[in-house]
Amino acid sequence: MKMFSVAHKTVFVVDHCPYMAESSRQQVECDVLTKSRAQGVIPLAPVSKSLWTCAVECSMEYCRILYDVYPLHKLINYIVSDSEFHILNSWRQEDQSTHELMSALAAVGPPNPREDPECCSILHGLVAAVESLSKITELQHERRTSLMDTAERVANRGRIICLTNAKSDTHVRMLEDCIQETILEQNKLAAGSDRLMAIQQCDLILVHIHPQGEDTLVSDRPKKEISPLLTSEIHCVRAGRHLSTKLNILVQQNFDLASTTITNIPMKEEQHANTSANYDVELLHHRDAHLEFFKSGDLHMAGTSTRENGLKETITLKWCTPRTNSIELHYCTGAYRISPTDVNSRPSSCLTNFLLNGNLSSHDPSGKLPVERAKAQLERHTRYWPMIISQTTIFNMQAVVPLANLIVKETLSEEDVLTCQKTVYNLVDMERKNDPLPISTVGSRGKGPKRDEQYRIMWNELETLVKTHAGATDRHQRVLDCIIACRSKPPEEEERKKRGRKREDREDRTEKNGSKDTDDKSWQESERLKGLVDKEEQESEVIKDSPDSPEPLNKKPRLCTEEVQPPERAKGPVSLLTMWSNRITVANSRKHQEFVGRVSSVNNKFELYQQLKDENGMDVHENGKASR
Amino acid sequence: MPTVVLMDVSLSMTRPVSLDGSDEFQRKNLAVHGLNMLFEHMASNYRLEFTSLMAFSSLWELLVPFTRDYNALQEALGNLEDYDKTCVEAALNGVSNVVQQEWGSACPCQVVLVTDGSLGIGKGSLRHSLQTQKHRGDDKKFPLPFPFPTKLFIMSVANAEELQMTDAMDNLEELLRLSGGDGQIFTMEGPLCMKSVQAMFGRLIDHAYSPFHAVLHCGNLSSDVQVFPRPEPIVMDEEVEPMPRSVNIDLEIVGFIEIADISSPPVISRHLVLPINVNKEVDEVGTGTTDELEEEPSASQMAGKSPNFCVLLHGSLKVEGMVALVQLGPEWYGMLYSQADSKKKSNLMMSLFEPGPEPLPWLGKITHLGPISEAAENPYGEDDSKSPFPLQPSAKRSYAQNVTVWIKASGLQTDVQKILRNARKLPDKTQTFYKELNRLRKAALAFGFWELLKGVADLLERECTLLPDSAHPDAAFQLSHAAQQLKLASTGDSQYAAFDHNIAPMHTDFSS
Repeated sequence: MKMFSVAHKTVFVVDHCPYMAESSRQQVECDVLTKSRAQGVIPLAPVSKSLWTCAVECSMEYCRILYDVYPLHKLINYIVSDSEFHILNSWRQEDQSTHELMSALAAVGPPNPREDPECCSILHGLVAAVESLSKITELQHERRTSLMDTAERVANRGRIICLTNAKSDTHVRMLEDCIQETILEQNKLAAGSDRLMAIQQCDLILVHIHPQGEDTLVSDRPKKEISPLLTSEIHCVRAGRHLSTKLNILVQQNFDLASTTITNIPMKEEQHANTSANYDVELLHHRDAHLEFFKSGDLHMAGTSTRENGLKETITLKWCTPRTNSIELHYCTGAYRISPTDVNSRPSSCLTNFLLNGNLSSHDPSGKLPVERAKAQLERHTRYWPMIISQTTIFNMQAVVPLANLIVKETLSEEDVLTCQKTVYNLVDMERKNDPLPISTVGSRGKGPKRDEQYRIMWNELETLVKTHAGATDRHQRVLDCIIACRSKPPEEEERKKRGRKREDREDRTEKNGSKDTDDKSWQESERLKGLVDKEEQESEVIKDSPDSPEPLNKKPRLCTEEVQPPERAKGPVSLLTMWSNRITVANSRKHQEFVGRVSSVNNKFELYQQLKDENGMDVHENGKASR
Repeated sequence: MPTVVLMDVSLSMTRPVSLDGSDEFQRKNLAVHGLNMLFEHMASNYRLEFTSLMAFSSLWELLVPFTRDYNALQEALGNLEDYDKTCVEAALNGVSNVVQQEWGSACPCQVVLVTDGSLGIGKGSLRHSLQTQKHRGDDKKFPLPFPFPTKLFIMSVANAEELQMTDAMDNLEELLRLSGGDGQIFTMEGPLCMKSVQAMFGRLIDHAYSPFHAVLHCGNLSSDVQVFPRPEPIVMDEEVEPMPRSVNIDLEIVGFIEIADISSPPVISRHLVLPINVNKEVDEVGTGTTDELEEEPSASQMAGKSPNFCVLLHGSLKVEGMVALVQLGPEWYGMLYSQADSKKKSNLMMSLFEPGPEPLPWLGKITHLGPISEAAENPYGEDDSKSPFPLQPSAKRSYAQNVTVWIKASGLQTDVQKILRNARKLPDKTQTFYKELNRLRKAALAFGFWELLKGVADLLERECTLLPDSAHPDAAFQLSHAAQQLKLASTGDSQYAAFDHNIAPMHTDFSS
């Protein structure tokens, strides 16, 4: 169905003239006396609905089904006509509900049988219906605005369903002519208005309602073209059951619906709670739901049956109680909204209640769209994301989890920063205790890297992770600062050479001489960090070129004062107190005068720990081990 | 989508092509050359699709049943023999049988008809078939349209001018129209030679057999993929949006959701998502030799060594029982998930939802879905015991709101009896009594059914007189109060007949 087919706008015009107050002559016994109470009680006389009541309840049923199956964009405008017209709602989405309409109908009340019939006519309502069809709907307006140059693609078509008691075929022709005239006039008006649209097609469905047992002077007529703009069809129906069947058929035809009957639904008996009987429930839905049956030619298997009136077909399906714990993904080609034909029958409500059980409400987002925030979160989470388990250390360590979970957040609280710092201190402690790390030995000769090497790899990886987020907020930066301040440092190349150690030359870790480990690392990082190059060029360059980089640029200015010797550089066991006081010292150091190191630097470089070379000839790392 | 190649092997296909050079070609040679090119292309880009080869003249023969073995197809092309005259109708009947036997009538199928535009003479000719097709009984119906969705590609080893000299072009166009109109007629441009037949099959390949390559993104992770079969552009509303929508070549994952929450959603198509090595397929056409096939594994072995995001994604979705929501274009989404095709093997697949901002009503607008971490409290509960889905619609459907319908007499009787039942249990059932009474009152007012209000008022008054001596004194007060209120409403007096007004229980000394 096209978005702006005739089904987009439906105007109900219901006759409210005095003769509609006449009885439909269909009686309803509503006083059902039980045998035990029947003695001596005079039962209430049966009530009978007026033509008006029949018309209103059947039109409401039409609306109910329509709104169930199409909650949006299929709109109804309800008009009542007597000595004037009464428009009960507008095209606006918020006015589209049976509750709104029933409230308005209650205000109108039944027709006044004493009103002068000469003053009353359905024509008032039909003219108002045409005017209403030319009014632009929210959807038409929205689409016209969004299509801009091609706004003319938004069509204006509609349908008028008129429930009335016509006098004769001539009277019907007069009504049709009048509608035709009004369309032409209204289209002229529309040409000069933003809020009106010319009517391109109008389908009139005139339902002539007459009481039971009364002959009709109006004849049925199938759809006929009155003009290129107007088609008309006439249905003559007795009030009551016949009218409701007719409108049920119409809503199916008008909105491409079809019927499915679910058979053999087991339900507990009201009287006997332990027994259950099988019931059938008929549902209406878009007819596409039957498409696959027709395509596969399996319709005979599903079973069709023609109803009493010979006009309506339903496909029967057998109920199958679903397995509630199944969470598989099944192939599904269509899901369709339904409306039970007999909404308040017990089987229908049992079925719908079963299907409706348990759900929550929705919320309206404010600010940035949630999906955009979701994408941003994915971006943050994937800045550093090793895909191979054996190529990551930190993501194999339980101890890193708190920090890894927090650092990817958009913002950090003070508490979060503290948790991250605790994580770092914990790692420092692990290193002091020489705890083993889950570093893969796959692909490396022998037992893999030594313990201190392992920690260096771990610290580098952690630093890499945190660096990708350090630019986000000051608190993220503080986590990075903490790592830089606390992590173990690789021995300087100078020292090692001096000592003549035969250790693998880590300083020369770039492309040509890289170990396997390093190769994989740089692969990971260059992959992972592509997106960050622009933003944090300086830093990411360090990371890319040398994943084992021991000396991030931004740490130097912070730590190298001669007066305050960072205790952790001693690489011995470091107590929490020492770390804490160091942290405070660092924090304080930011507030005072320029550092000696920076002041006396050459080319912005200043050799740190010079005094160590003199005082302590031992390898700091070895020292650390020996002390255990 | 499987393909049937239907090759004309009538005598007219052996007509020589006039060339200046020394080699003399037949039209058949040109057709075979073109088909070889198609098969080679499919071998490298459409390895998973099944293709079959049929030859026809006045009879038809299935030379190669549906297969993925493109060597077998090419081999069969090399052994074609020449037969008598062209009879398209019989051959199409053959196609219909072969396809339905293998795929049933639901699977869409592509038919490539290769012919020289000489469509037979007399009885059995296409002209004759088309002229008579309207005047036949059900047993001898023309085979088109096929019962399965069809794309018909007619490859004519003749140029358009030649076809237009006779009624051949008209007949072929009619054939295409009868098949459902989905397809195209390709003709040769310029002189009939190897080059122009290549160009013609090249156009077919571009039109119907070009692979769909895309980049799958998830934050900073990404992978080059082939989406197979190719997602076809779709038209949503030919009036408002006549331009077909196509799937973006950048597919962006926007988040992940539990399988239970997305709960088997309706999809318009399903596709395999295969990681590809971008460098590998520089030149796809004309390289499908045996050597190439042998090298293939080493290339994929290479690919197996480098970590691929698709592998990670597939494994994760499988383990977590989740699907990834992926954006396919503006207001168009799909899902990526792991689909098991046997106990041991599963594939990464992508299904496309109906285009639109809210393809699955139970999830609401896709743009309104966000990270769990941003919710004030975990919508799944701390112990994962609840779910935010399905979303409740903003307006309740009729079946979820206890509507009043009196179309059937039984509906009205039930509602009246419900009131009377509660009336007899006053004052215990005071709340339910008034609730049901007000429901009836509202409906009667809306339907203009004042007579019913009077009737029910009478019933309540009668109940009042029938109260046993043992009845609570409050019962009588409530009954006559309710009856009086209904009578007032039935006058239509705006003070008492307002729709939103509810009859409240009478405050008595007994009811505290």
